[in-house]
Amino acid sequence: MARTPAPDWVPPSIDMTVPSVARIYDCLLGGSHNFAVDRETAASLERFEPHARAAARLQRAFMGRVVRYQVSQGVRQFLDIGSGIPTVGNVHEIAHQVDPSCRVVYVDFDPVAVAHSELMLRNTPGTGVVQADLRDPDAVLGSTAVRRLLDFSQPVGLLFMLVLHWIPGETRALADLLGHYRDPLAPGSHLALSHITRDGQEGRVDGVADVMRESRSADRFTARGYDEIITLFGEFELVEPGLVGCARWRPDGPGAVTEIPSINEYGYGGLARKP
Amino acid sequence: MSTPGRHPEEPALVPENRQRRTLARKLAYLLAGTNYVPLPHEQFEAALTEVVDELCAAALAEPPQPERAALAGARLVELNCTSDKSLSSTMDVLVQGLLALPELRPVERFAEPVVRVVGALATGYVSAAQRETLEQQQGMHASLLKAVRDAKYNLRSAQARFDEVATSSASGILVTELDGTVVQANGAIAAILGHPPAELTGRNLFDLVHQDYAPVLREDYQAVLDGRTERIKQSQRLVQQNGDPVQVSITASLLRGTDEEPSHFVTVVENDTELVLLQNELSRQALHDVLTGLPNRQYFTTQLETALHQADPHYGLTLLHLDLDAYPAVRDGLGEQVGQQLLVLVAQRLRTSLSGEKAVVARFDGAEFALLLENTPTTPLPASLVHTLRQELAEPAYVGEHGLPASASIGVVHRPPRDREPRELLRDAHLALRRAKAAGPGQWELAHPEQIRRDRELDALAATMPGAFENGAVEANYRPLTRLADGAVHGVEVLLRWNHAELGPLPDERCRELAEVSGLMLPLGEWLLRTGCQQTGWWRRQLGRDLLLTISVTPHQAADSDLVSRVLDVVEETAFPPGRLLVALPSLALTTDLGEARGNLAGLADVGVRTAIRDFGLGSAELAAVVDLPVDAVWLDRALTGRAKLPDSPVTEALRLLPGLVHRAGAEVIVDGLTTADDAGFWLAAAADLGMGALVGRPGRADELAATFGDPRWRS
Repeated sequence: MARTPAPDWVPPSIDMTVPSVARIYDCLLGGSHNFAVDRETAASLERFEPHARAAARLQRAFMGRVVRYQVSQGVRQFLDIGSGIPTVGNVHEIAHQVDPSCRVVYVDFDPVAVAHSELMLRNTPGTGVVQADLRDPDAVLGSTAVRRLLDFSQPVGLLFMLVLHWIPGETRALADLLGHYRDPLAPGSHLALSHITRDGQEGRVDGVADVMRESRSADRFTARGYDEIITLFGEFELVEPGLVGCARWRPDGPGAVTEIPSINEYGYGGLARKP
Repeated sequence: MSTPGRHPEEPALVPENRQRRTLARKLAYLLAGTNYVPLPHEQFEAALTEVVDELCAAALAEPPQPERAALAGARLVELNCTSDKSLSSTMDVLVQGLLALPELRPVERFAEPVVRVVGALATGYVSAAQRETLEQQQGMHASLLKAVRDAKYNLRSAQARFDEVATSSASGILVTELDGTVVQANGAIAAILGHPPAELTGRNLFDLVHQDYAPVLREDYQAVLDGRTERIKQSQRLVQQNGDPVQVSITASLLRGTDEEPSHFVTVVENDTELVLLQNELSRQALHDVLTGLPNRQYFTTQLETALHQADPHYGLTLLHLDLDAYPAVRDGLGEQVGQQLLVLVAQRLRTSLSGEKAVVARFDGAEFALLLENTPTTPLPASLVHTLRQELAEPAYVGEHGLPASASIGVVHRPPRDREPRELLRDAHLALRRAKAAGPGQWELAHPEQIRRDRELDALAATMPGAFENGAVEANYRPLTRLADGAVHGVEVLLRWNHAELGPLPDERCRELAEVSGLMLPLGEWLLRTGCQQTGWWRRQLGRDLLLTISVTPHQAADSDLVSRVLDVVEETAFPPGRLLVALPSLALTTDLGEARGNLAGLADVGVRTAIRDFGLGSAELAAVVDLPVDAVWLDRALTGRAKLPDSPVTEALRLLPGLVHRAGAEVIVDGLTTADDAGFWLAAAADLGMGALVGRPGRADELAATFGDPRWRS
């Protein structure tokens, strides 16, 4: 990767050419909410995984279907954790297409992504943005926006889209962390997540992890397997067809799948309901 | 017969809808496979069906409406179909798919509109995508600034994060102490100022600003510090290391420490020479004509609106609509490039000649220009204004070795009421221009309220004529043509009549005038000829008489390059003997050789159709045409035949001699407008051959004419 030499005024100890996961994802989805350093990293990713753009598109399409499904089940409030840059087809846009009274709170810890979300949403009623680390559930659930917009006596749609593989460490610890989010929710609430997997990818995912490490992003990539990911739903009951390759989760048209089987299975996606 | 195009409001037929849906579905499948589309697939298909419908409507419109297609292109961007191959594959599918639709057949006719429309879609797509990219990038820059501010900037703990933001930003960022001393500067601001980055820290922000502006900027920063305003956003001039000024936009706001006390200013500097200039250029291009650099119609209209409100109510404003008469000839004869150079020259001259006035000069389509003057006590009145402009334009324009004529026709609206809509005013000026052009090249006309009303009625009537024709309200009428010598019916003339629901029957001449305006005359004329041939053919068989059929064509028809083949097709189809068909072409078209009129006349004669010159007058050019061209008859101008035949008048004498001269040139003479027996007597004595008019028989429907078949005139 080309790297600009550090200007003299930057103290040598500080890491500076740092891409952002949120902006790389935006770039792969065709957005322009990104900087040169993000585009370079996206290009490196594409050298490892030529179908990275298709994979990003499938993930985003999965999110659309999972939100629409929840709205059809009566869910009218969403908490989107790790929401990233509010690129096209956000949760509130999708939910508002069905019912404009839906309320949505976005959570991310990237300050630029959060600032951007705030700018975009300042005139959209029923939406809010929180800057917080998802590893701190109290900060998320106790934030002003969550308290103001979400009513925990009613079902909430909790979304963790393409974010949990950025949380390293034991899956058991991660499952406990998610428990903190699941517990306060009312019956009829849902938990949706998508997660990059190593299953069946024959080492391609490791390449992606290497690119991220090489890019000197602070984010570390942890791919997990089916047996690990399924524990994240806890006592929630998986909705048909269960935890599957994102493309196979209730596909609704040609935008939901690709002709490349490995990309269809690149990430697991699932939705579960609190009994 | 070719039918006029279907009316736009009329709902599309079901089979068309189905084929369009199939095309939209194909497109949806293709695009959904390469783009993330934030809609359920069936809604995406529905959205693309609308796009296809818009494109069809744009291609079917007469003339095609590329601006609608451009909007459809922008819609694709809205649907997020922006991946790198989306545009080219969309164009491939559309060109092929649209041309396969039944409503866009035949391909030869619609290939060009379809290609234009798809091209416009691409233009709309590209500019929407560009706009979106710029907006998103700008949004990111704003987010950077906001992120910095929202982080409640703390130099120690947020250092790393700020550096991430600052380094990757294309905008210059300066963090300063409250007195302006630079604490941090990123690479972008160093590049803008041409300083090595290290040299910037420690310097004072206000020393980097152009001297003249520094004191005011200091006050503005103080206002932010005092909390009187939240942030500064302004254009500013900075000084580069080499002393050159550089135009930038700065946005500055206050950073507070953990104690909420003001600690630093952060100033974001954007180089106007890049992003902003690009944006300015884009908006300039949208409002100006690329060739001449003049404002375009859209921009002119908004200027007009403003001027209407601003102009001194006592003097008002003056609007001129101008069209270069010789432009089509220059473009077709000397080429597009010379034509364009002529336009550029004229644009310069118009601008120069109005340099003393508060005026806007704009270029509309083709060779049309519009001029708007906010009048002052010294602004010349329209007549002298037009005179000045014509003098300025009269000087031949030299493009290479060609001295080109730049005479113009001009329509003028002078001091319109202030509450008139800009669009209406432009229409008024255009109507005045049309009237000026109708009077010949180099003329001008002042818009006159009564004239405007009449012109608009004519236009409204012309616009409804195709519908009336479709509904059968336009019918064929016939009137007899008799031999003056014995009064026997020699043939019939077929005429148009429109039975208008409110205005009553409109006669042939009026129908032709209206049909010429709307462009309906070609199909209508062909229909009239066919109907006349069928009807007269039937009468010929029924009466057992060798009746002649005469029909007149309009200047437009006379110049139609397909006239001969159209006539021949009808004659063959109806089995009418060509030698008994007399087609009359207007004399003006022949003497000035509009288009292919002379060639058409010769062509008709070649295939055995008889020809006549109508509106024949006393001019020698007309007589020459009879000698030079294979003309079988001349049709005397009704204005001449209707004149009182004063015994000593030289005109009477000339008319008396005219049939003899025409006979010597080898043609017969038809006299129209016979109303009295005296008329008939005069012309019989002058040796004219055939006559028609109220005396002989008024125009009527086929059955009305057939009712007179018992008359002895029909027997011999």
